[in-house]
Amino acid sequence: MSTRVAAAPASDVHTGLLESARRRPVALAAIGLVLAAATLILGVAFGNVSVPIADTIAIIGHRLFNWPQAVTWPQSAETIVLELRLPRVLTAMAVGAALSLAGATYQGLLRNPLADPYVLGTASGAALGAAIGLLIPVQIELLGFGLVNVLAFGGALLAVAVVYRMSRLGSLSSLTAVLLTGYAVGSLLAAGLALTMYVAGNNLRQIFFYLLGSFAQASWPQLVVCLPLIAIGSVIMLSRARSLNALLLGEQTAAHLGLDVRRERLVLLGAATLVTAASVAVSGLIGFVGLVIPHLVRLVVGPNHRALLPLSLIFGASFLALADLIARIPGELPVGVITAIVGAPFFLYLLRRYHAGYDL
Amino acid sequence: MTKRISAAFAAIILFSACQGAGGPTQTPAPVRTDAPLASPTGTPLPQTSATAVPTTPAAPPTVLATTAASPTSSSITVTGDDGTTVTLASAPQRVVSLTPATTELMFELGAGDRLVGRTDYDDYPPEASQVPPVATFQGVEMEKVVNIGPDLVLAGGNNFTSQADIDKMRQLGYPVLVLYAQDVAGVLADISLVGQAVGESDTAAHINDSIQGRIDEVSTAVASLSKPRTFYEIGDDPELYGPAPDSFVADEVTLAGGDPITTTDPAVFSIPLERLVSEDPEVIVLGDAAYGTCPSDVYGRAGWKKITAVEKQAVVPVDDTIVTRPGPRIGEGLAALALAIHPDAQITPPADVPVYCSATPSATP
Repeated sequence: MSTRVAAAPASDVHTGLLESARRRPVALAAIGLVLAAATLILGVAFGNVSVPIADTIAIIGHRLFNWPQAVTWPQSAETIVLELRLPRVLTAMAVGAALSLAGATYQGLLRNPLADPYVLGTASGAALGAAIGLLIPVQIELLGFGLVNVLAFGGALLAVAVVYRMSRLGSLSSLTAVLLTGYAVGSLLAAGLALTMYVAGNNLRQIFFYLLGSFAQASWPQLVVCLPLIAIGSVIMLSRARSLNALLLGEQTAAHLGLDVRRERLVLLGAATLVTAASVAVSGLIGFVGLVIPHLVRLVVGPNHRALLPLSLIFGASFLALADLIARIPGELPVGVITAIVGAPFFLYLLRRYHAGYDL
Repeated sequence: MTKRISAAFAAIILFSACQGAGGPTQTPAPVRTDAPLASPTGTPLPQTSATAVPTTPAAPPTVLATTAASPTSSSITVTGDDGTTVTLASAPQRVVSLTPATTELMFELGAGDRLVGRTDYDDYPPEASQVPPVATFQGVEMEKVVNIGPDLVLAGGNNFTSQADIDKMRQLGYPVLVLYAQDVAGVLADISLVGQAVGESDTAAHINDSIQGRIDEVSTAVASLSKPRTFYEIGDDPELYGPAPDSFVADEVTLAGGDPITTTDPAVFSIPLERLVSEDPEVIVLGDAAYGTCPSDVYGRAGWKKITAVEKQAVVPVDDTIVTRPGPRIGEGLAALALAIHPDAQITPPADVPVYCSATPSATP
């Protein structure tokens, strides 16, 4: 990363690497894509059973791209690479991209640096839905989705819908009211979750692991269902970067600029909530990514959403896939713990070094 | 965020307190399907497949141990406690065991050398430590299972092994036999079932005979004795935890000649101190002795002074592992529990049991 950027001419005031990168979002995106590709390869090559890297590449080439190749590897290696690791890494990337993008959107929409994808009750709604799903002793499975996934998805959407209605976000109401409504609804749902956990008996462990977040249950059918939802929401958000830029100036100014503030808010909120709900349905609650990746990117490229949104998507994908890899090498650690342990010190370092002039 | 973390933290504390290190059946069973066990005859139990799923009441009863397949017969069909039937082409040679109880059972069946995977908290017998672990507290490490390629997986029901992991292994093509004993009779049924599945039915029948012998010994010894109100303490931090009504532990206390004091609901583990005081146990059995609770701690607890068991110093530590783990040592566990409740009963004490709290004065009711 550093060598390519260092080759660029130093800027006139600051000579830091990040300062020069700030002017080159396209180069940064290219670096991000290379990083994502490297993460994908690493994620598939490593796990808690060792499969030779040559075999890994040969299996993927042979099975996915029909390379002519003699099968020299055991069947178990093929199952591990294709059925366990590949969907897992891709799911982590999709969720990382979705949460980062949704986080950037929520932060811009609510003009609040502490906003994250879970700020309007998504987390509590999804968790309560999942917990209820775990308590219902009926086994329904469709396309790899059990009751837990479906109820988590529905709970997240429903929570935000309630917040939206209650706070009159559709009007030009104050953002403080929205945030407080989100907090109140979230608290109510969290109380419901605590109650559910109290009576959960043997299912408590499953609820607990859902709250920590994990990609251990990732599978192709789940990915195939959640990926289109994430893709649709992401395209909507990416295509409305200009609206977010206008909203950063304040609702009144944005309206004077000709922006239909109510409609844009609804669309952006809907898209961000959709991708968040699809993410928490497959992975559980993974914190930190959606809060910090947008800030990291913003520290480097500034608050322009036309650069911020796509770069958040790219780096969020790599970051979460990498965190998942670190999480599963020693056995299964909760991925949310890794994202914070790895990400927080790095974020603090950047914040301390480049805090001057940083604003939403 | 803070709420979430604190809730999650509460969860892990609550869970660890309830679960201890024992088997899957420390937790409440919603429905009790089997008849009371203390049959004085010692004959095999009427049914070996305790189907835990109410939607499949018509699941065919499994073949009894005496008529089961031997290793030479061609194919083996067994029905797990989740109602799922598993068919094996021949006696399995690569078995993964996902509960401490089934790991013990495999060794007891003389099939320990066919065990190729276990959980990382299996602690008995010592030879088990040589089998590679493929599951942690958090779940099954699927890559390791695939790498091993088992021809039979023994999993715990009622979410001891998570349903998602069971589904995943079945989807990958591994036969998964789910075991979940709701009471002591269910343990015997599961031992027959596993014996049948691995082609060691005769050994399983011997194990069950000896367990049944222990059960009969205990029920004979306690038959003429009074039934003291007994509280089996599962844990005391952060709340007090005890057996739920109709749970495995409550069933055992009854078999051991006690009158179990339980929580109010099958889904609730915690028992308010007020309830315990009003129920006034005559004996308190410390299932959490293995995790550091001793009678001296109980005697010093605020508000416990007037409980009969405390006044009479009838607080007794037991080895939770043998008492609550639904494995081949359940007969010994029952004997240990009966001796804790009735110290003078004519019961052979179990051998090789760790002694807890030996520094404290011995309990005499």
